[in-house]
Amino acid sequence: MTLQKDPEGNERKYLRKFADFTGKRILEVGCGEGRMTWQYAKGTLGTVGIDPDKDALRIATVDRPSDLGNKVCFACADSQYLPFSKETFDIAVLAWSL
Amino acid sequence: MVHALDEIRRVLKPDGILMDIRPLSGQWQIEVTSTPGFKETGRVDDFPEPLKADKASNEAMQEVEERGWFTREQEEFFPFFYSWDTPSEMEEFIAEDWSDFIGLSEDAKKVTRSAWAIADADSRVRVRVKVLIARWKKATDAGPT
Repeated sequence: MTLQKDPEGNERKYLRKFADFTGKRILEVGCGEGRMTWQYAKGTLGTVGIDPDKDALRIATVDRPSDLGNKVCFACADSQYLPFSKETFDIAVLAWSL
Repeated sequence: MVHALDEIRRVLKPDGILMDIRPLSGQWQIEVTSTPGFKETGRVDDFPEPLKADKASNEAMQEVEERGWFTREQEEFFPFFYSWDTPSEMEEFIAEDWSDFIGLSEDAKKVTRSAWAIADADSRVRVRVKVLIARWKKATDAGPT
């Protein structure tokens, strides 16, 4: 199958239009396989993607570009109980997950 | 849903930003694309559950705004395209991956196949998904996190 998702890159354009991710700590809720993560993570100080789907997170970890290895990590977690201290992140992204 | 938004508020720094990005139901347009442009060939059929989910999400954001947890700063919509080489690939994907929330009428399939068959050799088929992007700012005076 030759499925292309967002070939025009609209999601990336709007993400950058709406927020400056540079040097920020990001929490992405519902990161899935990391499709959205790769669009903004490069310039961030650090990005944590969470998702309850372990299989999706496994794919995200395998697909993680080598230059993002020290910036992006993934965790299996439920958004109802976030395993982080208060006031940790500059930006939270609900990635098709609300 | 509101509890999850409260958790996000807790882990956000003061003046932190919440980005809400999500597709909205609404009879997404089916299009055949080719070099000159695109042609609408039909609409998908919405099932009730995603419409209820959209409503619940909107109500949750409205509630956190009313509670003073977040302030809406910016909101827009943009098209997110799912694109395939052929109508049959689109039909197969929708049947396998989206069958819980949308359907395709026989008429929409027929019109799409016909339009694709007479279009350029490089023509493709796509679904125009409507996506909401909203920027919310964490309020600093809405009680303890």
